[in-house]
Amino acid sequence: MTERHLILEDGTIFKGLGFGAPATTFGEIIFHTAMTGYQEIITDPIYDGQMIVFAMPVVGASGIHAEAYESVKPTIRGMIVHDLAEVSVNRQRRMNLDRFLKQHNIPGLYQVDTRQLIRHLRETGPQKATIVDYADEHAVDQLVATVLTNKQVQNTATPKPYANPGRGRHIVVIDFGLKHGILRMLGDYDANVSVLPYTTNVEEVLTLDPDGIILSTGPGDPRTLPESVLTLIRVLQTKVPMLGIGLGHELFALSNGAELMPLPSEHHGMNHPIQEIISRQIFYAMQGQGYAVNAETIDRKKLFVTYRDLVDGAVQGLRHREYPAFSVQFFPDAAPGPLEATEVFADFFETVEDYVEHFNQ
Amino acid sequence: MSNILTNKTIKKLLFIGSGVNDFGKEAEHDSAIYQVMPELTRRGIEVFVIDENPYTLSLESLSATTFWQPLTVKNLKSVILENKIDTVVPLFGGESSLRLWSEVVQSWNYGDGTMPNTLGLSIDMILKVNNLPILTQMMAQNGLPVINNYVLKAQDEANELLRQVQLPLMVRALHPIQNNTRHIVDRLDDFESAIKAAKSQSVTQEVIISKAINGLKEISLEVLRDSRGNKLQIGASEDMDPIGIHTQDSLSISPILTVQDQLISKMRSYAFKIADMLHLEGVLHVRFAVNDDSHEIFVIKVSPYIDQMATRTALCTGYPTMLVAMNLAIGVPLEEIVLPRNFGANAAMMEPMMDHVVVKLPIFPFGELAEAGISVNRKLNSVQKSVGTTLGFGRTFIEALEKAIRSAHFNNTSFSPTNMATINDDSLIQQLIHSEDNRVLLLIEAIKRGYEIDELAELTNIDEFFFHQLVHLHEIESQIEQDIDSISSLRRGKKYGLSDGLLARFWHTDFNIIRALAKENGIDATYKAVEPSAGEFPENARQYYATYESENESAPISSESILVIGSGAFRMGDAASGGYATSVTLSELKRLQYQTIIMNNNPNDATLLPHLADKQYLEPLEISDVMKVVELESPQTIIVPGNRKKLIDALKVLGQKVVILPKEKHMPIGPNEKQSEFAINLFFDGEKIYPINLTQHMAGEMRIIPQMIETIDGIDVLSLKNPGVYQFIWYQETIKWQETIRASSFGKDGSWVRPMPFGQIAYLTKVMDVPLMRMIVRAGLGRLTDQDFELLNTLGKRVTHNKLSLVAGDINYGLHLQPNQVIDGTRFEIGVGVDDHG
Repeated sequence: MTERHLILEDGTIFKGLGFGAPATTFGEIIFHTAMTGYQEIITDPIYDGQMIVFAMPVVGASGIHAEAYESVKPTIRGMIVHDLAEVSVNRQRRMNLDRFLKQHNIPGLYQVDTRQLIRHLRETGPQKATIVDYADEHAVDQLVATVLTNKQVQNTATPKPYANPGRGRHIVVIDFGLKHGILRMLGDYDANVSVLPYTTNVEEVLTLDPDGIILSTGPGDPRTLPESVLTLIRVLQTKVPMLGIGLGHELFALSNGAELMPLPSEHHGMNHPIQEIISRQIFYAMQGQGYAVNAETIDRKKLFVTYRDLVDGAVQGLRHREYPAFSVQFFPDAAPGPLEATEVFADFFETVEDYVEHFNQ
Repeated sequence: MSNILTNKTIKKLLFIGSGVNDFGKEAEHDSAIYQVMPELTRRGIEVFVIDENPYTLSLESLSATTFWQPLTVKNLKSVILENKIDTVVPLFGGESSLRLWSEVVQSWNYGDGTMPNTLGLSIDMILKVNNLPILTQMMAQNGLPVINNYVLKAQDEANELLRQVQLPLMVRALHPIQNNTRHIVDRLDDFESAIKAAKSQSVTQEVIISKAINGLKEISLEVLRDSRGNKLQIGASEDMDPIGIHTQDSLSISPILTVQDQLISKMRSYAFKIADMLHLEGVLHVRFAVNDDSHEIFVIKVSPYIDQMATRTALCTGYPTMLVAMNLAIGVPLEEIVLPRNFGANAAMMEPMMDHVVVKLPIFPFGELAEAGISVNRKLNSVQKSVGTTLGFGRTFIEALEKAIRSAHFNNTSFSPTNMATINDDSLIQQLIHSEDNRVLLLIEAIKRGYEIDELAELTNIDEFFFHQLVHLHEIESQIEQDIDSISSLRRGKKYGLSDGLLARFWHTDFNIIRALAKENGIDATYKAVEPSAGEFPENARQYYATYESENESAPISSESILVIGSGAFRMGDAASGGYATSVTLSELKRLQYQTIIMNNNPNDATLLPHLADKQYLEPLEISDVMKVVELESPQTIIVPGNRKKLIDALKVLGQKVVILPKEKHMPIGPNEKQSEFAINLFFDGEKIYPINLTQHMAGEMRIIPQMIETIDGIDVLSLKNPGVYQFIWYQETIKWQETIRASSFGKDGSWVRPMPFGQIAYLTKVMDVPLMRMIVRAGLGRLTDQDFELLNTLGKRVTHNKLSLVAGDINYGLHLQPNQVIDGTRFEIGVGVDDHG
């Protein structure tokens, strides 16, 4: 393994050994504190264009599993870890983490003092970074000159509709960079799923006569999406039960007049206590967010807050006062992460059943 | 401190200690109780504690009213009634106090008055937890994956059962007469003979048949639940060795590395479900058997109380487990728990994350026993053979493993690449299948001989990951051996936790040369904090471990600090006395208002409690590890147990001020069945000796002779170098307890002077109510007070009327070790208790 370098926009340089693809890479660097689920994390489209620093000390020790893909093709820009393990559980190929990243042309860096890097990033917040062979002036100039894309949703969301058939309720998923976990959960309810691109319109959705609508997770800043998306949500929430997740939650908030604020330090992990406000129950869930809904901007006549992060107070869920529409900032598909969060899907299907029953009467 | 007490009736609260140390029972319960008592006192609760173990630190706490008595139903009841105890906390004393408390409850009569409240777990649930078949049934009814047990008597019933269950099966005796062997039946042909063998071992001629899960992965999760039903996971570990080897005897690692998230999440939700089922308000340790391929999971043990997993995970993560558990027990919900300032604001509610690896190694007594010519069964199986535990902290598995090995004081030569070469292939394979204590070595040897990783993984049921790691270790070591004096190799070796001593051996030189070479080239230890947020939040950490990276987080705490060198893991002989001595030393230094630093690696005693020292180093205790900390902290004084002669010399060469806690290298041999050991006990303040009293020690028991002793003749003060408690020993062929002993016996042939073993110091401290250990520390630092001298001058004139004798614990050496001869309970002590001979 060859020595490579990580350069941050603020000029800090970290040395490590290269694994995965030997390419030069640019991206926004963030850190993740989860101790399990590295495969789900690096394949989750919400990390499109980002480099992820893992706090977990050893990465790769449980191999690459067929059931742990959150997208078939990962689109992260880099993976920075302390120690790399080379375990394979693939029956057909010796597929360990190193080879997996090579296959997807993603560079990795290991033997990095990741604890120092994380302690640094928690102060500076996310920033541009590059992984290169030589940390020379040229590399620094390149990094400074690089403009990172803000088209992450376009990069990861499906351009064409597709179905994930089942025999249960008909759920339309509007895709902003959907992770497989959501489809897996819908599969648990035997839902008949139609996934539509986010460029769809009211006509198209309602023609499919859905029993419920899910606004999917996705990467990046939702404010870069066209206004038409907010209009679509505003109309659909009045017609059909709706659940927004992650980016979908942020869009749900925006379309109901709330504003977003950047978190001082992005939060990626599964150890924060989240409280359901009505019951005071505390639970844990996978979280990955750079933005939060600004609680002060919520129109209390339309929306109310359902969940909060007890560590930073950030809004973790909203519900509409008039319509059967609600949303969560955290990831209730538990892929990876605690299973207690999957209750949100039970809530959603209860709402869907009420809606269906209402029409049957 | 929050004043919210949902249960206002708690006025007088009793902790039931866990009693005599034993296999699997070290000082973890005492440590837990000792830690939480001051917090309860601060809330205005009057705290009481009962235990029989003389090493119990809690019995010397100023925050509680203490009862040093044999743990019997009668004693417990009278303490409760005489002191009007309204609340009992059995969970902190673990399984044995849970059992004792349920006996008390069951024998509670109407005339005894109101029974105290039980905190944490209801009486109903305690009774269920104590009854395995009922607990199993309850879990099955709640949809939890348990292994069904079939109890039967006749062979034809067994044959009938074969229609329902699949091979392999495990056959055991119900109500075993003595040693319960587990028979694993892989083939139908063996079924009948296994039943026959198990029946013969059963008092009732009944056998238990269940699905055999040998070879599966063993996983432990630690979770919490509060009175509102909130739950969180506070720790997890995986055993390297598969099920079939006792979890205490297995190498284990935290965090879990080889199991994928989906399976861990499933186990987590099972553990939560069990906590709900028990309506627990406290900590729960659940052990699982897991099959990675089939995704099968079984619950194999449920422990809703403080155990070694609880104390270990607290140390591994920095999560304040005991303080939170105490809050939960008295009814404070998770959200309202307020912790001492040295913990983060949300520490109670945040699930701890780890950015380091901790390897736990068991400490086996085989070496010490072999030196005494005692051979035992070294094959690891489902009966625990280890007596202690040590931890290695690092940033990689290899680094943590190497540090754990050094903490375990393995002879390093036994870990060199040249060892093990003599074993032939057949016995290598045999030992791979039937593990012994040296299995890490054996695995490396097998790798060297070219066995493929998947072959080895199949043969041993050990995850492939560990073999990749050991292959890597082997490569690193071979490379270092070839590249003599290469700085990059040196850097690599240090990064993976290899000691200066081992590197010196590879390069045929002295460890001082390695140290100098590393120093010249800027290869230096960096210390990282152990804190539960894995770097996410600014931490106020006090616990550190060494690694070789770029950022050092540990700054010296004070120019006037005192560094205390701990005594490491629980071992046969020393038993829990080493931890007792270290903890009391720290407590006394705190009282004298020194800034203190402790180095140790034992998770199962109080030495590493957050409030006992200002700073903790979770490190091996070899000279090179100690020197690194000394370089960083520049303490004004270093306190070292007297048996660490090489370390003491090395520190003195460097001009360090060393205070020695007098201790012999080996534990003394006890008297045989026909003789008594007599001792004149004395305190030496550095200049003068002060008589304390006389003791008589017969095999298995020690008493104080109720006799005054004013002067001691014939002892050469010059032979005693360091302040401490010493004893002047002689033997007599008598097995009668003496009321007095003639002074003329003093100084006769065969007598000698030795430092008093820490265990006896703990006993005398309690039985005489004289803080001997604290006085040793004060004497070492020149801080004895006028009051101390006054006391010392009168000790010999006092007659102790306390009738408690020190007795050897009822340790089943036979079951655990199957030795070829009787084991001397003094030299190879595991646990001691007290008996009332009045």
